[in-house]
Amino acid sequence: MSALYECRDLVQRYAGREALRLPELTVDAGEVLALTGPNGCGKSTLLRLLAFLERPASGLLRYAGGAEPRQEVTLLLQDAYLMRCSVFANVTLGLRLRHQRQDLRAIYEECMRAVGFAAPGELAGRDRRALSGGERQRVALAARLALRPRVLLLDEPTASVDARSARAIVDAVRDCVRRGTTVICATHDRALMAALAAREVALGRRWDESESAAASAPPAGAGGAA
Amino acid sequence: MEYLADGLAAALHLLLHLDDATRAAIAATLLSTGYAMTAAMLLGLPVGFALGYASFPGKRALRLLSDTLLAFPTVLIGLLVYAFITYRGPLGEWGLLFTLPGMAIGQAVLALPIVVSWTAQAVESLDPRCRETLLTLGARPLQVARLTLWECRYAIGMVCVTAFGRVITEVGIAMMLGGNIRYATRTMTTAIALETSKGEFAQGIALGLVLLLMAFAVNLLLAFFRRRGRA
Repeated sequence: MSALYECRDLVQRYAGREALRLPELTVDAGEVLALTGPNGCGKSTLLRLLAFLERPASGLLRYAGGAEPRQEVTLLLQDAYLMRCSVFANVTLGLRLRHQRQDLRAIYEECMRAVGFAAPGELAGRDRRALSGGERQRVALAARLALRPRVLLLDEPTASVDARSARAIVDAVRDCVRRGTTVICATHDRALMAALAAREVALGRRWDESESAAASAPPAGAGGAA
Repeated sequence: MEYLADGLAAALHLLLHLDDATRAAIAATLLSTGYAMTAAMLLGLPVGFALGYASFPGKRALRLLSDTLLAFPTVLIGLLVYAFITYRGPLGEWGLLFTLPGMAIGQAVLALPIVVSWTAQAVESLDPRCRETLLTLGARPLQVARLTLWECRYAIGMVCVTAFGRVITEVGIAMMLGGNIRYATRTMTTAIALETSKGEFAQGIALGLVLLLMAFAVNLLLAFFRRRGRA
């Protein structure tokens, strides 16, 4: 596998305070990575850097994908935000931003079923206010799946949802992994890590990737068993 | 107190059988407010959006100026605009004094800081996750800006309605720049002031009731935008 991301001496600061220090990290294409560590150790910051939402204060962050990384990489925030429009419009928003107008209904149905909605048609016209927290998170994930991203970044995707929603999210991400999507997930959820057979990278202490990797599950190149 | 009851009865009669003068005052009010709001929105929305959305040198100074102008006394606005459009002023040859467009200029100056400051506030108050979400969905900078504006639509609707309410109930600027000319620049507020000074309460109360109905409609719209904006 070739390295998709390469980070070296990556540092991020907010208002002078160091939020992340990462000596080295390499992520191969198609790999599944679980970022772990205590609150405030920089997991979300690292995901934001990998999603190109912000630039690092210093260090190297190299992406070996296309020239427009934001068109290939997508991030699901921990507390996902839905726009003030219908569920259908939210799920297909990314496609419409890419000026895709065809097959929107079919893609919507497919992605909504992938995140565990049995009757997507009934939800299509619903406003975001009518959704529970778990449903919002799954709709937001469906919007990312609709893009068929090369890299899917997830920030604690199962942290604030019920068990049923968490299961649906895990299943949807596993499908993504099977299709060869690179998945990097910040999580405390051991079950999620096991289900995705993710390589664990622990942040927030003297960083040693090989040590962390040795203690974690093997890479998910073969698809990841539950 | 009897004159109040008589005035109210006469006002209802006037409202049911709108006379030419009342109709003209209502039309002048709606026209000048319409011109003023159109100008204030066209100028104020882009500036307010830029102030709330983008970072550029001088942004804080501009915001401070706009916020300060919120407290600009209407009489002073009337005086300044008068100085510009009076026959001896720099825009005197355009003949704007004592016309509806002349009044609308003053009213637009009144509405502009409201539109600019509150639009900036609405954009700044938007959930920061909105921009991040758009970026993570692959939106390009112009798309992010356009959709951010769309996401603020209810808050901006509230700004428009508030500015409209402020302009339509204004009397000082209308009096100074319009001259309260019957069938031409006499608005509801200047007519109420005039009729009251003449002791013609019925006409005053009739126009007051129309204004009250408009204020009610404006408040209904405000409530709608507030409810939608909270979602």
